[in-house]
Formats: sequence, structure tokens, C-alpha cells
Amino acid sequence: MSFAPRPSVQPWARVNKSRKSQIFLASVLPLTLSALIVFFTGLDQNLALVGVFLPLQLVAASLVGFLAFGRRGVGDSFLIVLVVFLSTFVLVLLVSVVASLVSQGAKAFSWTFLSQNNIYVSNTTSLDFGGVGHAVIGTLMIVGLTTIVTVPLGLAMAVYLTQSQSKTKGLVRTLTQAISGLPSVVAGLFIMSLALTLGWERSGLLGSMALLPLMLPTVARVAEEALRLVPVDLRYAALALGAPNYRAFFQVILPAAKSGLVTAILLGVARIIGETAPLLLTVPINNGTSWNIFSGNMMTLPAYIYGYLASVFEPSQNRAWGAALVLMILVALLFGATRLLSRSKSLKSKPTKQKASK
Amino acid sequence: MGKLQGMSEASVTNSAPVRRKLSAGPLSRGDKWFFRTASIAANFAFVLVALILIFLFIQALPAITSQGLPFIYGTEWNNSKDPIVMQIGPMIWGSVLVGALGVVFATPLAISLSYLIVFMLPSRSAKAATTLVDLLAALPSVILGLWGLFVFTPVAAQWSSLLNSYVGWFPLFQVSTADNGFLGSPFIAGWIVAIMIVPIITSITREVFSQLDRDLINGALALGGSRLSVFRRVIFPTSSGAVVGGVLLGLGRALGETVAIFYVLQLSFDFNWAQILEPKGGAVASMILSKFGEASEEEVSGLIAAGLVLFILTLGINFLASVIVNRAQPWRKI
Repeated sequence: MSFAPRPSVQPWARVNKSRKSQIFLASVLPLTLSALIVFFTGLDQNLALVGVFLPLQLVAASLVGFLAFGRRGVGDSFLIVLVVFLSTFVLVLLVSVVASLVSQGAKAFSWTFLSQNNIYVSNTTSLDFGGVGHAVIGTLMIVGLTTIVTVPLGLAMAVYLTQSQSKTKGLVRTLTQAISGLPSVVAGLFIMSLALTLGWERSGLLGSMALLPLMLPTVARVAEEALRLVPVDLRYAALALGAPNYRAFFQVILPAAKSGLVTAILLGVARIIGETAPLLLTVPINNGTSWNIFSGNMMTLPAYIYGYLASVFEPSQNRAWGAALVLMILVALLFGATRLLSRSKSLKSKPTKQKASK
Repeated sequence: MGKLQGMSEASVTNSAPVRRKLSAGPLSRGDKWFFRTASIAANFAFVLVALILIFLFIQALPAITSQGLPFIYGTEWNNSKDPIVMQIGPMIWGSVLVGALGVVFATPLAISLSYLIVFMLPSRSAKAATTLVDLLAALPSVILGLWGLFVFTPVAAQWSSLLNSYVGWFPLFQVSTADNGFLGSPFIAGWIVAIMIVPIITSITREVFSQLDRDLINGALALGGSRLSVFRRVIFPTSSGAVVGGVLLGLGRALGETVAIFYVLQLSFDFNWAQILEPKGGAVASMILSKFGEASEEEVSGLIAAGLVLFILTLGINFLASVIVNRAQPWRKI
């Protein structure tokens, strides 16, 4: 009885204890070293990040990888370091946006700012007076009207894309996706030329119409995904029991896909709530509160931010940041709601239970 | 089957089977209306595109007839001349330049994010990372404009001056005026646009990565491939089609970006071919917004014509992108 010679590499062998310290050193040393270099030589931080830290980290990680797994380890660690570096970069950008919003917006944030409108407020008025109340009302009304019209339309499109046997489905889907890239300024120009051609006055209603083409593709696409998640067997079972298609949809598929459909609506609202260009082109701005969406001037949050953004006066800049924080909170609320919904959905158990009870 | 026949024979002997009445045929009245409504809504997509084209064209017609073809490639916009001169050549090129820069910056970021989410993170943190990317997608463009103007521009200007002083010999990073502060350049606008399109590219790339055949990847790893070589030889070739589609979708979005780059880009009706650090650039959408406030009737027509050009450009790119993405995702077709 003779055994083959033991291979030199033993994947099952216990991990070398010194490897932990190697990994530790490789992840700490480059950072400390580049920090020291910046500290002592006064090298520009940005330059040091790319010129010193990244190469050092790549070399260190590759070295550890080589010691552990040979040439394969070099490729592993190279890719990992690069991917983590670039992803962290995106994370830093996102954190920077949110952090500056919170820190700058907090200066203006108060109950007065949330509730009052901007009558008698000039560029230099202190933040004790005036606020975004009228803009919040305007935004909610305009976005609300768009939502009421767009949601049935988008859901019907999703129904067409999932339930019907039509041949133009692929084309409709492609076109919907193509419309989702419609530049927002073009949506505004479209409604503006419509109004110019037909002789309509600019008003909140036109703003709602301009937002529709921007919201529709989002609602249709996400709703389609949600409907597609419902097992097709459920529908076939309903049809086999003699239900017509529309009852199969309303009584079986719709309840099963409910949370996904609500997500579609919320994402659609989140998509348009911050749209600026179409509203600037179609809705005349207003410093007072207006409840009339069908005529007259109206203020919206994005237009408010846009108006104060470029000002050289500090109170006005603070107003812009404060309004941006309010807008971001609205978006975050919508977003949190979709997360909660998508967490609580239990697609597989829910529909069967409902069917069993009927 | 046999049992079933036996049963029917048995029932025949007892009594004739009652023919069950189907409550609804395949085309009951309700169903007809159901599908009719759905297909009307679906055809609204065609109607919408047609309406946009028609109404933009009606209002743009005066400008198109008075300006002719130079509207697209000329370099002058002068409303004090008689007749008025409106040409948007540098703006179209500027849009393309900023969009291209955005895509160049965003693509590596998006690909590495997707790789991190799909292949490296455990499922729970992958979900958290996906949420963060979605949050990035939900940032309103006006907020990015605000942040870009006050927070990002100073940092980016510092980067620009570094680039210029170290690799300034390269034509791309040259500047013609020595002391301009590096503000308002296509470089900065490109970064802002990149932040906006990272989530778009990521969502497509992530989905394709997660649908890849795991056996293929594990097999390559078992053959001794490293993560890098597996990425280069297996993951990238099999998913490149969809990645290209995602990048094109991002480009379409970048071309139409308006408010986010409105404040960080200095518009100039003078061609800036590729000096990306020079504080002069163009963007059709931003130009429309900046000129709209005090535009005369003739100028409004010109702006709408510019919008028409932008619409046709982006619709073409997006349509191409959607076709590519749909073709690269066969699991989506039912």
C-alpha cells in the first residue's frame, strides 16, 4: 500500500496564524503611512489619496495575497481593493450630500420655516420670518394631482404588459423604457407648447401635466415587476375555476401584488417630487399660499430652492438649504415607506391563505 | 387517465353527466373591456411620444424655418440682431461632452458597486448597499445642484488644478487662460452627472451580474482563476451587452440633465472641443432653462426647437439602449 505524495498546497490545513496579522498590517499600514506623509511633507490630501494611498494599498494587499495564495492571491486582492475603493468613493459622495443637507438645512429648520409662506420676505430678511409652507402645499397638490391621473394609467400599462397576449408587448415595453429617459426640461417644453398652441394660461394644472410623462414609466415598470412576481399558477388556477380574466386580476393577482404596487406608486412619486425644470417652465411662481391648482400662481419646493440657490445673501442661501432638507425628508419618507412595504411582503403565503378563506 | 375513463363510464351507466356551464368564456364582455382598457393605456405610450413630437414641432416651426440648418451647428445666439440669430451647435456638443464625461466617470464606479453587491457582500449588507444606491437615485436633481455648487465645486476645482499641473501636457487637461479658478468646467458638470447616472447603470449591471450562471463562475474559480481573471474572462464577457445598454441609458439621462448642472457649468456659445478643465461648456437643457426667463416670442420658439433636438437625440439613444438591455436580459421576456 502506497500513498501518493502529499500535495504541497493543503487547502484543508489550518490557516497560518501570522496571516491575520499580515491582513491587519496590510489594511492599516498604507493608511497610516500616507497620513504621515501628508502630515510631514505637506502633500496635497487629494493627491496623496490617489498618488500614495491607493498604490500603497494595492501593493500591500497584493503582497498578502501572494504570500497566502501565490499568483491567484494577487489577482484577488487587486480586484477587491479596487472595488472597495471605488464603492467607498460613491458612499463618501452620498454621505457628503446628506451630511451637508442636514448640517446646512438645520440652520433654517424651524416650525416657522415649515408653516409660513414668503409674503413680505426679501433676500435679506432673517430666517425668523417666512418659510416654505406655501411651497409644500403647492408641491403636494401638484404631485397629488399627477399621481391620481398617472397611477391608473401606469397600472393598466403594467396589466397589458403582464396579462395580455398581445404581440406589441415588447415594443410597448421598450418604448416605456425609452420614455423613462425623457429629459425633464423637454416634458416642460411639451406642455408649454401645448398651452401656447391651445391658448391656455400657465398654472399648477400644467405643472401636473408636465410631470405625468416623467412619472408614468416608473410606475408602469415597477408595477410590471410587481405583477410578474405573482406566481402565474395562481392566475391559471383562477381561470381554470371559471373566473374571467378581470376577476382573476382584481381578486387574485391584485391582492397578492398589493405591496409591490404601492411601492410602484411611491417610487413614482419620489421620482417626480423633486423635478424642477418642468415646473419652472409651466408654473408661475408665487410668494403667497395658493390652494387653487387650476389657475393662478403656485409655489413648489424645487422652484423655491431654485429661486434662492444662486443668491449671494446668506439668509437666502440658508432658505435654499432648508427647503432642500424639507424636500429630502419628503423623499426619505416615501423611500422608507417602500422599504417597509417590501420587507413585510410575503408573496408566497399570502395569496394561498386568502384563497383558502374564500 | 384510465381511471378517469372508468369513472365516466360508471357515471354514464347511472345518469348522463350534467354538462357544467362555464360562467365565462375566454372573451366575456367583462374581459373584453378589461383588455381593451389595458391596451388603450399601453398605446398611450405611443400617443405620448407622438404628441410630444407634434406639439414641439408646431411651436418650433417658426424658428426652424427662419434659422434653417445652421441652427444645429452654428455658434451664435444673438437676440439683438434683426433678424434674430439662434444657433445651438456648441450646446449640443457640450451636452455630448458632459454626458460622455459622466459616463466615463460613472461606469467604473457602477461596475465595482455591482460587483461588490453581488459577489462580495453577504446578503444582508448587500441589501443595505442596494438601498443606499436607490437612495442616490432618489436624490432630486435640484438638491444635487445645490450640493454641487456649494460643496462639490471647491473640491473639484482643487482636483482640476492638480490635474492641470501634473498632467497638463495632455491636451485634454490643458487650459487656455492660466488663472480661472477651474470653476464651471465640463469636468465638474461631468462629475455631477456621473453621480446621477451611477444608480441607473448599477441597477442594470447588478441585475445582470446576479443572473449570471454561478456554475460558470465557480468552475472558473475551481480551475485556479483569481477574482480578477474570472471577472475579466467570465463575468465581463457574458454581461458586457447589458452593461453597454445600461451605459447608454445613463448617457440618455445625462444628456437631458438640466438643473443639476445649471449652476456648476458656465455656458458659452463658443465651441469647447475637449478642454474639459476650461470654464466654458454647453448643455442644451441648461441653456433652455437659462434663456427661458427673459425670452421673446421668437426666442421661445428657438428654445422649443432646441428641446425638439434634445428629445430626438435622447429618444434615439434611449430606444437603442432599451433594445440592447432587453435583448441582453432574456429572462425578462415572457
